[in-house]
Amino acid sequence: MLPTERISYSPITERPRLTLPNGARMAVWVIVNVEEWDAKLPMPRTVLTPPAGGSPSPDIPNWAWHEYGNRVGFWRMLKIFDEFRIPGVLAINGSALSAYPAIVEAAKARRWEFMGHGFTQRNMQKVENEREDIRRTADVIEAATGRRPRGWLGPGLTETWETPDLLKQEGYEYVADWVLDDQPVWLKTATAPIVNIPYTQECNDVAMMLIQHHKASEYYYRAIDQFEQIYDDAGDSARVMALVVHPYIMGAPHRTRYFRRIFEVVRQKSDVAFMTGEQILDWYLTTGPKAP
Amino acid sequence: MSGSPPMIPRERCEYSAIVDRPPLKLPGGARMVVWSIVNLEVWDISKPMARQVLPAPTGVPLLPDVPNWSWHEYGMRVGVWRFFDLYKRLAIAPTLSINARVCEDYPRVAQQARDAGWEFMGHAYEQGPIHKETDQKAMIQRSMQVIEKFTGKRPVGWLGPGLTQTFDTPEFLAEAGVKYIGDWVYDDEPTVIRTASGPLVTLPYTVELNDIPMMLVQHHESDHLLKRTIDSFDRLYAESKDRPKIMSIAIHPYISGQPFRIKYLEAIYDYVNKHQGVVHWNGEQILDWFEGQAGKAGSSHERNGAAKNCRHQSADRGRRILEE
Repeated sequence: MLPTERISYSPITERPRLTLPNGARMAVWVIVNVEEWDAKLPMPRTVLTPPAGGSPSPDIPNWAWHEYGNRVGFWRMLKIFDEFRIPGVLAINGSALSAYPAIVEAAKARRWEFMGHGFTQRNMQKVENEREDIRRTADVIEAATGRRPRGWLGPGLTETWETPDLLKQEGYEYVADWVLDDQPVWLKTATAPIVNIPYTQECNDVAMMLIQHHKASEYYYRAIDQFEQIYDDAGDSARVMALVVHPYIMGAPHRTRYFRRIFEVVRQKSDVAFMTGEQILDWYLTTGPKAP
Repeated sequence: MSGSPPMIPRERCEYSAIVDRPPLKLPGGARMVVWSIVNLEVWDISKPMARQVLPAPTGVPLLPDVPNWSWHEYGMRVGVWRFFDLYKRLAIAPTLSINARVCEDYPRVAQQARDAGWEFMGHAYEQGPIHKETDQKAMIQRSMQVIEKFTGKRPVGWLGPGLTQTFDTPEFLAEAGVKYIGDWVYDDEPTVIRTASGPLVTLPYTVELNDIPMMLVQHHESDHLLKRTIDSFDRLYAESKDRPKIMSIAIHPYISGQPFRIKYLEAIYDYVNKHQGVVHWNGEQILDWFEGQAGKAGSSHERNGAAKNCRHQSADRGRRILEE
């Protein structure tokens, strides 16, 4: 299905008001992306291109740069989640569950939500059997946590024309690849509709640090600008803000402090609800418009 | 134009130094014009996206590109409504550079702009380089017709998608009834260029005070839009003591309509509006003023070489602008 067949255009100003529980004005969800990069393949992102260019294999420097995130960076960021009592959402490659069991255990101990994020970190359009990839990812998450994931984020947000159909058929209840709104929306699929929850490519350390090459503090300033505007907008109807981090990027020592400072500011507002994706989903299923 | 090769830019307009022209004059004590242009586009999901905020892992671009399609779609669902609020509060009716297909795919947005009195400027049928159009002439005619049908008024202005033109484009535009274009960012003042179908006016659009180069190409911090615009404004405002200046600002809802950027756009107007003698005009208002000026100038002395040569093009419009 074309995107425009899955969802009709709708201006945000003309929908029934959404109201969050306990007088909250807006919701914030924080997604940590944990990936496993296969050393035998080209690296999904690179911090340093090889002398004279090209993409030599193995690419040890960039593989190691990413691995640092799971060995060191994740644990640095975890302290911030604990300090500010942020319920985390782990968007995790299926293969990363067995590669990084300590991260899985830390997330389980804190009752974080596990979200499917591709079995491996590659474009979904290059995955040989997409349905199998989606199902296998749910299987390993269930094996590790006892629960099948309810949410899905494509690696790099990539989708084929069928992805939402397959996700719904495989039991997922929401997807985050569609960054087209400040509120959850319904997407039609070949069977029943699926919810999309607002994710972000812009308040996302991949875009800001690896593509746009901003200095570390931009993550903080952009997040606060985003927060203040959405907080203001949400006076009319509840809105959702997403904040996305990768341990190998914001978990680097020179960047982590800017991630922490965001919560020093946002936590001062008592009417901002920190939620997981599935909490936002359940709220929307209860109080939002019925599935089309 | 049949048979003759298309003109290159230098044949359309001779070089002219701004210091060698008599100053134009703005009415009513104004010294500077601010021209705001909002760009609305349709990104067809079956094609590669016009811009990407996030290239796919390992950089391999494949279709469909849902992440970047939905990033642009956010501008239409959410971002543009921040623009509508801003311009309503300021009582400014900007120019809307609009892919004609927006009138078909997003009538709600186009209606809002029409009802708020924004000027509709042709901006191709949908977003993509004009070089790739199989029938450019027909696309231009179609774009003008779709907008005319939607608003009841044929647009007088045109901006190529990404400012793109082929050597033939000015002829096609003049034939379609376009009076001014924004693609030639080569001056602080309007100029006249010649086409085989009569003259076209160029208005000083901008590829620098424009959120695409600043945010998507040069990757500046959000507040850079404000800083750069203030720097431009300060300089142009100082120069406008001696001759009127026009400053344009070009924005897109999927970029400047993002929550973390909108306040810098709002702050631009707070700053600019503290200054005396600044008027907010749309493209058609600037065109009308310039035509009046050119008419006056034409009766006493030539404004520039292009104008002189354009007089010999026998198109009706050329006579009206330049020889009355």
